[in-house]
Amino acid sequence: MTRKIDRRTFGKGTAGLLLGGTFLGGARSVRAQYAAPAEGGMRGGKLTVGSIVEPPALDPFHQGADARIQVTVLMYQGLMFEDASGTAKPLLAESHELSEDGLTYTFRLRRNAVFHGGRPMTAADVKYSYDYVRNPENGSPGAGDYATIEEITVLDDHTVQMRLSEPNAALLMTLTNKYGGVVPEGYFDDQAARARMNQQSVGTGPYMLAQFQPNSFLTLKRNPDYWNESSGLLDEITFVYLPNAASMLVALRSGRVDMAVLSRPQDAAQLEDAANLEIRRFPSFNQKSIDLDLAYEPLAPLEVRQAIALAVDKTKLMQAAIGGFGTVIGTMPAGMQEGWGAPVDELPNQGPDLARAKELMAKAGHGGGLELTLTTIIGYDWMDPAAVTLAEQLKPIGIDLQINKVDLGVWINNFRSRKMGFTFNDWGSQPDPSLLFYRHFHKQPEGADFRNWNDGPGSELLDKGRQESDPAKRRAIYVDFQKRLAEQVPTIMMFSSDHVVVSSRKVKNYRHHPTGWYFGLADAWVEQA
Amino acid sequence: MGGHLLRRLLAAFVTALLSSLAVFLLVRAVPGDIVAQMLGQAGGDPATEQALRGFFGLDRPVWQQYLAWLGQVLQGDLGTSWTQGLPVAGIVGQAFAVTLELGLLTLIVATAIGVPMGLVAGIHEGRLLDNVIQGINILGLAAPVFWIGLMLLIGASALIGWSPPFMYSSPGQDLWQNLQILLLPILSLGLLQAVAYSQFVRQSVVSALQQDYVRTAIAKGLPQRKVFFKHILRNILIPLVTFMGLILVQILGGVVVIESLFALPGLGRLLLTSIQNRDLPVVQGGLLLVVGVALSLNILIDMLYQYLDPRMRR
Amino acid sequence: MSAALPADLRGGRGERTFGLLRELRRRPEMVLALVIVGFLLFTALFPGALTDLSPTDVDVAGALQPPSAAHWFGTDDVGRDVFARVIYGTRVTLSIVAGSLAISAVLGGLAGLVAGYFGRWPDMVAARGVDVILSFPPIILGVVITGVLGTGITNLVMALAIVYLPLFFRIARAGAIAEAGRTYVEAARSLGVPEWQILVRHVLRNVLPLILVQYMILFPLALQIEAALGFLGLGIQPPTPDWGAILEQSKNYLLFAPWMSVFPGLFIVLAASGVILLGRSVQRIVDAA
Repeated sequence: MTRKIDRRTFGKGTAGLLLGGTFLGGARSVRAQYAAPAEGGMRGGKLTVGSIVEPPALDPFHQGADARIQVTVLMYQGLMFEDASGTAKPLLAESHELSEDGLTYTFRLRRNAVFHGGRPMTAADVKYSYDYVRNPENGSPGAGDYATIEEITVLDDHTVQMRLSEPNAALLMTLTNKYGGVVPEGYFDDQAARARMNQQSVGTGPYMLAQFQPNSFLTLKRNPDYWNESSGLLDEITFVYLPNAASMLVALRSGRVDMAVLSRPQDAAQLEDAANLEIRRFPSFNQKSIDLDLAYEPLAPLEVRQAIALAVDKTKLMQAAIGGFGTVIGTMPAGMQEGWGAPVDELPNQGPDLARAKELMAKAGHGGGLELTLTTIIGYDWMDPAAVTLAEQLKPIGIDLQINKVDLGVWINNFRSRKMGFTFNDWGSQPDPSLLFYRHFHKQPEGADFRNWNDGPGSELLDKGRQESDPAKRRAIYVDFQKRLAEQVPTIMMFSSDHVVVSSRKVKNYRHHPTGWYFGLADAWVEQA
Repeated sequence: MGGHLLRRLLAAFVTALLSSLAVFLLVRAVPGDIVAQMLGQAGGDPATEQALRGFFGLDRPVWQQYLAWLGQVLQGDLGTSWTQGLPVAGIVGQAFAVTLELGLLTLIVATAIGVPMGLVAGIHEGRLLDNVIQGINILGLAAPVFWIGLMLLIGASALIGWSPPFMYSSPGQDLWQNLQILLLPILSLGLLQAVAYSQFVRQSVVSALQQDYVRTAIAKGLPQRKVFFKHILRNILIPLVTFMGLILVQILGGVVVIESLFALPGLGRLLLTSIQNRDLPVVQGGLLLVVGVALSLNILIDMLYQYLDPRMRR
Repeated sequence: MSAALPADLRGGRGERTFGLLRELRRRPEMVLALVIVGFLLFTALFPGALTDLSPTDVDVAGALQPPSAAHWFGTDDVGRDVFARVIYGTRVTLSIVAGSLAISAVLGGLAGLVAGYFGRWPDMVAARGVDVILSFPPIILGVVITGVLGTGITNLVMALAIVYLPLFFRIARAGAIAEAGRTYVEAARSLGVPEWQILVRHVLRNVLPLILVQYMILFPLALQIEAALGFLGLGIQPPTPDWGAILEQSKNYLLFAPWMSVFPGLFIVLAASGVILLGRSVQRIVDAA
């Protein structure tokens, strides 16, 4: 295909739209960044994305909030990419090799990667960035993930070697895009550099920061030097921060925003009649769960935890929380079930089974009833209806459930200081079982063990799983771990809610990534009139 | 009068100082700091936490933190935002501009509606028109501002299919868009304030009508209009001006929920999100501004009152 | 409330009833106020008399139904009856507001009385403290205080009590200063009556009506702040019904299920206007006395 249609759109006086769109000639042969090839993709145009959550800051090294990761993946890139299939694929690395002993990774780097601003990326930048993020003194929430890296060496301008202290099958997945990313060597030498990331991006991604106006909007513009020419098609992406779900629906209907991922998937039902909108569902790596802190006295007895697990009716909870827009899960987020999940019918304590639950309560000495407090978080809309539904479900086994709604900051503080009690949780990870489980469930000090589980056998399995590189064996280990998890009940994973993407029909080739991060915008384009 | 002003200024300064101390201590008493928020569920070992606390100066004793902050403030530096990394003064100033625009426009709308309402009610004291206006006043005082906002949103969307744009633009950027965004917030805030005005004006008119000289003027057979303009209006003008200041203080304090509801990047919303994000320098700076503005407006009103009212001038 | 009864209502029993009726006929707004407040008191005390439905029973299948004969105010997002929630919420909301204002009236009133009567340094200290509280916008103060204390009914009551304490303090202080200068205080003092007795027997008695009026003036304001905090999610804990909390819950369904936000708001308006009317009537009687 060599036709070159020049569809210049003059007029309307919209500033910044002078260039209009041009079809990508012969785009079919080129592989797009993250999604399917941008066949017939059109360059140019602007896209407005509505969002209810807003990143507190844009620093990928120090800010752990999911709202930050969602957008910074468009600006900053790691060596690898967390493919939707659940494997790590090369991104800034072109290829990688693993030594026989499983301890040394050698990465050959992409030669045409360029930082925003124009400087070419070299091996020294890669070493600097990963050395910075893995040093706990630098205060990155991701530091723990990189703990198995012992040394990073520059072999030549385009080759980097990482030596590990022990085999780590999850390493490639950690070198992806959640924390950090490759930035110019020495970037953080300047004390003010962290703060500057809110005004200027310094990554290698397809989009760069134009303007961040907190409490209002965030604008990204196309990186003209991006190393993958067939990606990054839009001239400009603006994220508009809306106050609540209701105003999002209004904004979508009226066309004031072109696209949004619904914070409440069930809201899709309210948009079905809108002809100008397209509603699509994508699987996700997230999980809505009930966490049980074993140091919280009423939950210390195993029988009580098992009884709760058996009394819970996940399907009804999901119905109350997000309508039908999700998948009930066992011990693995829906998007990872196929690759890593234990078959749900092989897991113990999957309810509802009230008779057995009552038996267990009686055995624990709570035949006469038990009072529990469930913590929920202000601003997490699904938690309120789920909480009152859970209270109803626990009533028959004699549990009187009080609800305690707290501010997110307070909740995180309790969680991190391992005083979570009995709480709803909403989290996700990159698609690797070790990254999913290790930090949360391995006993201290290697893991954070937020739930005070302190489980020997479970931790042993997690260690084994991290070191095993053979996929089939690795899977078997994690299936065993999941059975242990379901038997011991430090957490009850309820369901994964689908990512429901609503977009105007002019938005093309957008695929929402199961992490919920906006990778798909790198390959999306808009039809221009 | 100079001495009086000096005393007022001194008292205001002491209040501001104490308020800043109260804020400082209070926000640090809220559980969970910015470090916990940054690390989230990612864990992070103690060394990481320590490093971050050190970065924000949270590892020092509170009194040291306060004195350091106060020293900065007295030199005119409000510090740097912990999340955005920009000077607090700029962030707060920008947000205040939004709130101030909202406040002033609300004031204009409220005056335009409330003063005539009050005049009419006062002149017709005890009659039907007065009772109707009084009824409206009571409903206006009773309805929560944010609920009026909700009802306006529902009403605008259901009746005329209109909804305000969500992306804020300043009057300089795009005045038309700016006014569209501000329309519903102004109406929701303006109603309450208009009603307050109307109450106040009505009361003033009623008491003016009872003044001897007005009665005399009426008895002398002066035309109604003349009595109205010469005696009544002039008489209520002074308290009206000072009342305007009070209303402005009230509006500035009352915008928190409205700004959140309508996604306005004003001071109230900034304070709310900064408290949620534990961005303490912004909370401290923002509240200092709110307190400062309220205190200086109060002094200004006081001075204005003394200046305008001959009896107070001595 | 008997303390506020005007002089012309005193007299024999029969005369008093007659006087009261005549008084009411002369003040239709007071009748209206009493009807509204009476209705709300009744609702708060006997919610079960007005509805058979439970405010907390969940029925996910019957969620978000518009108002009908079965559900007068429709149902919410988990299928609870909004009418039942509003009716049962009356007690919760009104007692939070009434209780917190009562706390600030007692504490603020006493502090103001003492500060105003004795003056000097306790007055200075208290006045500064009150200035500090007053210098913050009430909602922000509420947000910060509930942030420190945590959410929940007790903490909400505490937060509201702190927010409104200064206003009672000021009223009581001003009243006490005025009374302290009166001749009867001088006279009592010269007769050797102890200071605290003068304070309690004479000054307090005269300041009390002022505090009562202030209470009624602040009631609608406190009600609105309570609702606003609830709307921000900082109010009471689910599933307890509360007007502000219902509004908070409704914000996601603003256009889809407007009944969730219309009706609780109307009850707030009703309650607030009832108290405003009552306050005005009482104010007139106090002024007349």
